[in-house]
Amino acid sequence: MNVFMQRLLCSPALAFVGLALVWELCVHVYAPSPRYLPALSTIAQDAWSVWPQLLGGFGRTLLETVLGFMLGALFGCACGTLFTYSRWMERSVFPLFVVSQTVPVVAFGALIVIWFGNSLLAKVMTAFFLTFFPVTVNTLRGLKSCDPQRIALMRSFGANRLVMFFKLAVPSALPQIMVGFRVAIGLSLIGSVVGEWFGETVGLGVMLMEAMNADQVVRLWVVMFACGVMGALLYGLLTFVERRLVWWRSES
Amino acid sequence: MKFMRDETLSPAMPAAAGHAVPMLELVNVWKRFGAAQAQTVAVSGVNLRIAKSEFVTLVGPSGCGKSTLFNMIAGLLAPDDDGSLLFGGAPQRNGQLLGKVSFMPQRDLLFPWRTVLDNAILALEVEGVPRKDARERARAMLPEFGLAGFADHYPHQLSGGMRQRVALMRTFLFERDLMLLDEPFGALDALTRTRMQHWLLELWARHRRTVLFITHDIDEAILLGDKVLVMTARPGTVKSETRIDLPRPRDPSIVLTPEFIDLKQRLLAEIEEESRKTFAQEGIAS
Amino acid sequence: MVAQRKLMASPVVPVLLSIVVLLVVWEGAILLFKIPAFVLPSLGAIVYHAFTDTGRLMGALMATLGEAIGGYVLGSVLGLLLAVLLLLVPLFERIVMPLAVAVNAVPTVAYAPLFLIWFGLGGASKVALVALAVGFTMLVSALHGLKQPDQAAVNLMRSFGAGSLKIVWRLRLPVAMPSVVAALRIGVPRSMIVAIVGEMLGAYAGLGRLIYESTQQIDLLSVWSAVLVASLASMVFYGLLVWIDQRLVWWR
Repeated sequence: MNVFMQRLLCSPALAFVGLALVWELCVHVYAPSPRYLPALSTIAQDAWSVWPQLLGGFGRTLLETVLGFMLGALFGCACGTLFTYSRWMERSVFPLFVVSQTVPVVAFGALIVIWFGNSLLAKVMTAFFLTFFPVTVNTLRGLKSCDPQRIALMRSFGANRLVMFFKLAVPSALPQIMVGFRVAIGLSLIGSVVGEWFGETVGLGVMLMEAMNADQVVRLWVVMFACGVMGALLYGLLTFVERRLVWWRSES
Repeated sequence: MKFMRDETLSPAMPAAAGHAVPMLELVNVWKRFGAAQAQTVAVSGVNLRIAKSEFVTLVGPSGCGKSTLFNMIAGLLAPDDDGSLLFGGAPQRNGQLLGKVSFMPQRDLLFPWRTVLDNAILALEVEGVPRKDARERARAMLPEFGLAGFADHYPHQLSGGMRQRVALMRTFLFERDLMLLDEPFGALDALTRTRMQHWLLELWARHRRTVLFITHDIDEAILLGDKVLVMTARPGTVKSETRIDLPRPRDPSIVLTPEFIDLKQRLLAEIEEESRKTFAQEGIAS
Repeated sequence: MVAQRKLMASPVVPVLLSIVVLLVVWEGAILLFKIPAFVLPSLGAIVYHAFTDTGRLMGALMATLGEAIGGYVLGSVLGLLLAVLLLLVPLFERIVMPLAVAVNAVPTVAYAPLFLIWFGLGGASKVALVALAVGFTMLVSALHGLKQPDQAAVNLMRSFGAGSLKIVWRLRLPVAMPSVVAALRIGVPRSMIVAIVGEMLGAYAGLGRLIYESTQQIDLLSVWSAVLVASLASMVFYGLLVWIDQRLVWWR
């Protein structure tokens, strides 16, 4: 068996293809109620029948997710940096951040619409609410875990705090910050989807809600797959960025 | 604590040494840590003088305060008020020494996200030298450090010895009159260490910077130094200062000569005494 | 003087201070900008309402807590067991991990309608949803922790005559504890929120259902009271976990 065949047999793609085949087979053999498990082919057909709406919804939700993530990431990094260098700020404001995450953002959905109107901003805000915390926590952790011996070395060169921040603290915190980004992007997607439940016309969250209300089970699966594709896309993008920026193996 | 001076002058020393301003002088330097009750004295009443272009080695048992002493000389820690640090004759206040001394700690502390070349120019960058110029200077020095062709490699691709050489190159590129090397060859295997020692001596012979070198290896201390300082167990102070009047350049085979062995015997006895004290201290502590 | 400095240094003071500041800003903003109650009710009004409505709130809380804790325990245990299984049988890991990652790429909320169909409107669907959300995080964290000991340590255990299972029990699990505990901590607020989101889509009881009904009836005071209760419950749950963590995992 040559190397190519071996690679193919062990690749995750095979697992998916295998699962798809098993799925189709089981449905055709056991014929469960389509309410519980529709055939993959049925799902594909339904997806094809609404592809304009699906594509539009995909694009809209993607936009909300990315914007919410970027806002949350920026704010999170800024806060993480602030908390690293100001113990007082950390001790006073950070617990409030922690508490904010115990508040179910869904409850706020209605309120967010009241505050920001039924607009893109409202959805972005919902996504932002979920993303800023993991980024803050991981930025804080990353910056604090800066090797004190390297700090001493920089000081012995006569480096001031600004130089140390940019040349040492930031690069050494980058791996941990990336971890935060990974968590954040997943949560951002959740935020967008949930945000869309509260008054929106276009979006995967909207389609999910509509499908649920109209009891269209197959459509539910279609939207779930679409969400999965978006999730995979976002994680993949992040992994790509991570490999370019944070390729060195951290010493710990 | 005793403070002996060996009166014979090394032939390498210029005759007027006694009148020149020493590069570094420590006068009654103390360092205590902790509050009044549970205080530990890391360094007690250290007096020493290092002249320009001297290569001084410092030996002592572990925990004797060698690294604390180094941290003070590098400006990272301030000595207690009892004593003072003079650099080029001028007393230094807290933090004044930062950036004036080229310091190489025990671990290579290379930045994993920087190439060999960029790691070497780290101190120069901090100094404010433009990157392009700094890189050129470093590139020129690569062959001398045995790193030719490795400019664009990353630390994780290098062996321990090579990483240590990059760290040394970083220390050398930071052109300061005083270099502090804290057990730079400690983590290397014996064979690599011998090569590095030989290579360091050649480098020093060419550039003639003032070097203060910490080691726990007596052979290394005698082989490299113009002068060996022995530190006592905690609280650390300078137990003795021994001039090494072996001729330079020093061949590795010098370790077998009777003069070397004689020096080693003397120093060994002193260090043994201090090591025993350290063990006893640890025994009481545990 | 010393007493005063000790007070300033205690961790509680800055938090209390910022809570007070938050309260002042909240009530102040309402008064100053004449914010109507439907946008932002006064904190006092919320607390008062919560007290008068205690019966209903407590009933809803119990339902939600049941689902959250049930799903949390189920998900954590399954996640950990699966991690151990995947570790012991590398073939399973290669098959299961890509699928698990794909499943996790879909935001948890997207599964809610499907689970409601599969498991009905009762508590079971929410427990399943929480278990899914918590389980995957646990799986990833536990697997990461279990894989930490290097080959040298494993070989050492082997040289003592330890079999695979013993190695897991005596070497890998203790080393994995910090990662497992980290996942447990993250799981707590998540489980409450996921349970509430699930209830909002369809349930017979629970805080989520209460929030949904109250939103429909434009009874925003009830919404805020439910949010307050959910938030407090989450914090108590988390505090309990931290306490257990400190008692049981003492060797860190």
